[in-house]
Amino acid sequence: MFPVLSRTTSLTRAAVAAVAVAALLSTAACSSSAPASEPTNSSRNEELSIAVQAQPASLDPAQLAEGQQSYIWASIFDTLLMVDKDNKIRPNAAESWKYSDDLRTLTLKLRSDLKFSSGDAVTSKDVAATLERTRTTPGQQQPKLAKVSSISAPDASTVVIQLSAPEPSLLNYLAQATGVIGDADTLASDTTKLRPTGSGPYVLSDKTVDGTEYVMERRDDYWNASAYPFKTVKVKVIQDRTAQYNALQAGEVKAALIQAPQRKQAEGAGFAVKEVQATAALVLVLADRKGELVPALANVKVRQAINMAFDRAQVVKALLNGLGKPTVQVFDPNSGAYDPGLEDAYSFDPAKARKLLAEAGYADGFSMTMPSTVISQSFEPVITQALSDIGVKVTWEPVPPQNTASSIASKKYPAVLWFYGLNSAGRQVGDMYAPEAFLNPFKWQDPEFDKLLQSIATEPDDTARDALYKKVNEYTVKQALNAPIAYVGTLWATAPGIDFLPTGVVLPTVRDFGVSGK
Amino acid sequence: MISYALRRLGAGIVLALLVTLITFFLLSGSLESVARERLGSAATPESLKALMTQLGFDRPAIVQYMDWLGSVLTGDFGTSLFTSQPVAPAVAARLGVTLSLVVTALIITVLVSVALGVWAATRGGLADKVSQGLSLIGYVVPGLLIAIVLVAVFAVNLKLLPATGFTPFAQNPGKWAASITIPVIVLVIGGVASMAAQIRGTMIGELRKDYVRTLRTRGVPTRSIVLRHALRNAASPALTVLSLEFIQMLGGALIIENVFALPGFGAYAFNASLQGDIPIIMGITLFSVMLVVTVNLITDVVNGWLNPKARIY
Repeated sequence: MFPVLSRTTSLTRAAVAAVAVAALLSTAACSSSAPASEPTNSSRNEELSIAVQAQPASLDPAQLAEGQQSYIWASIFDTLLMVDKDNKIRPNAAESWKYSDDLRTLTLKLRSDLKFSSGDAVTSKDVAATLERTRTTPGQQQPKLAKVSSISAPDASTVVIQLSAPEPSLLNYLAQATGVIGDADTLASDTTKLRPTGSGPYVLSDKTVDGTEYVMERRDDYWNASAYPFKTVKVKVIQDRTAQYNALQAGEVKAALIQAPQRKQAEGAGFAVKEVQATAALVLVLADRKGELVPALANVKVRQAINMAFDRAQVVKALLNGLGKPTVQVFDPNSGAYDPGLEDAYSFDPAKARKLLAEAGYADGFSMTMPSTVISQSFEPVITQALSDIGVKVTWEPVPPQNTASSIASKKYPAVLWFYGLNSAGRQVGDMYAPEAFLNPFKWQDPEFDKLLQSIATEPDDTARDALYKKVNEYTVKQALNAPIAYVGTLWATAPGIDFLPTGVVLPTVRDFGVSGK
Repeated sequence: MISYALRRLGAGIVLALLVTLITFFLLSGSLESVARERLGSAATPESLKALMTQLGFDRPAIVQYMDWLGSVLTGDFGTSLFTSQPVAPAVAARLGVTLSLVVTALIITVLVSVALGVWAATRGGLADKVSQGLSLIGYVVPGLLIAIVLVAVFAVNLKLLPATGFTPFAQNPGKWAASITIPVIVLVIGGVASMAAQIRGTMIGELRKDYVRTLRTRGVPTRSIVLRHALRNAASPALTVLSLEFIQMLGGALIIENVFALPGFGAYAFNASLQGDIPIIMGITLFSVMLVVTVNLITDVVNGWLNPKARIY
């Protein structure tokens, strides 16, 4: 993941790029535990300002949400574990962990030098209290602890999590929002929503204007402060993408996501632009696999035919401005579950699709209604055309923006066009294919698939588990459970002196940015 | 005059009650979606049910409305479901941004429009054509386009003004002025387009009236005739246009605030309605209605002062 350089790269910029690469490599190395090389004192006084589109709903640990909001809460709170750039789980506030042989007891050992922003020591009681509150409070993190039966703190540095059944994604959850450490004494107080006692590398300053600009100062008493090169981090909430780009150009923020057509202009203006090729998957979710609303969808040949209806390369080129990659699978291409061999499974072939439909008994096609949401609108003409070419007539039913998520859960629609933010394979299975998954509203289940998921839950070895996830992926593609269309990428533009570092899909945090030296 | 103002205020309160009641009932149809939005895609039916109970969404809509109204009367407007901020201070802070933008724009609009309108009406000929031409340009060129050009020139290229953000007046008056300069220019262009034409028209009408001729024959100086007599009489209809302009600018501020990332009322209202943030939507509805009622009241009172015939209603 080297900085993208324009053809007119000058010697100065090449030199800056060389420094950037060096910094990138050193910071990438530090991401596993501690920094390999300390940034110089002057560079450690740098300020980072990032533009994001939405403010955090709440900073209460039981109400945290992932996505861009995590630039803020992941700076304020420490997490028990962390995911590194290679998607491996690493120690963080917990210096070690151990599973029992039956994978139902997880014991975590905390570091001894953890401190809250109030100056008090972080103990296992705080960890247990935070987890217990998250487990019992309705919020985005609660379902992730559904298999936790009890949490205890036998001594000041030990936390024991008891599970009712093995949970293969638990370590991943503990490396993200579910695993934050709040202060047991203040968790339930109202101030926690906006001004929590933090356990992380930064603390919210008085200059913060809630909902507009979050100003965070580095805590020098944080155990891993040396891994954070920026003294001050400002996260500015700018909803409009053009306004974000204006702020970047005017020097008001140093890093922002930009849109594909702005790429050349940004590079020409001296910004480093880096592409993350896959952060989400554009998927036509074939929710009604049981055929309750549209009997045709219960037939695997019909689902396969739908998969052959799309000219994916054209969608990427025309609708995603080339920022993405055609695919027939939904798992993160950087994860062990991804299988490049599957990409040829459904090439664009309307004639073959019509043949498959005829074989399934739908020679004259069929009709279905899909929700027209903020997500689907720009893709609707293409989807309608592609499906009508094979004989499937689509009617779009408008859905208000606040009902977008409900449109899936309502079980009113047999298929829904959705952007799925990529995650670890275990989380994706939980979100897309498990019987209780959000993207499986009709609760489709299959004995063979269940057996596969069962084997993953009881597999302690990481490599062996990856192989099993690959099988899961193969099954979902062969059975055409959904019709994935493309991986969707993002472009980060950073001002000179700031580097954007990540290579894979991990939690967005300030660790994604480094100082390249001026 | 006082009883007239009180009657108008009473009508305003009834209007606010009706509007908030209707808004609440319209929102009550999507309570489950709002709860689901809060819980995210991983929401289970159990957690959804628990949150619905916790937020009181499981009660009849009328009970929820009465509860909201009761809290409002004690000064508690609730807490945002999606930002955790108490509604009253959050809305007040946002309203401060929008009002400082709109009021500044309105004052400049009045000054420019009066100058332009009076100039066109009294001089005629080329002055009139220039004035009408400027109004026409203000009408046909979209404010958004002007905003984009001004940002590109003055913020991005020349770096003379900020491209985004807002500095409160109390914090730094200089930075405050810089932060609202381009948004105000955009609002003023639209405002002047309609007001200057209005003042020009009514001024021409006034200047043709008999009393003006009488004043002229008595040797009253033209300046005095125009500013003390004709303009005062022309101000009444212009004031009505001004109050409508104020309300229109509040709407226009929504787009401007998004383009300049100003933490104002319009952008906040837009976002809250997208998310279904019920306490915020209710707070904004109430504040908006009261704002419109207040502006109309002030217009009527000033109109009554300018023109005693208007007080008889």
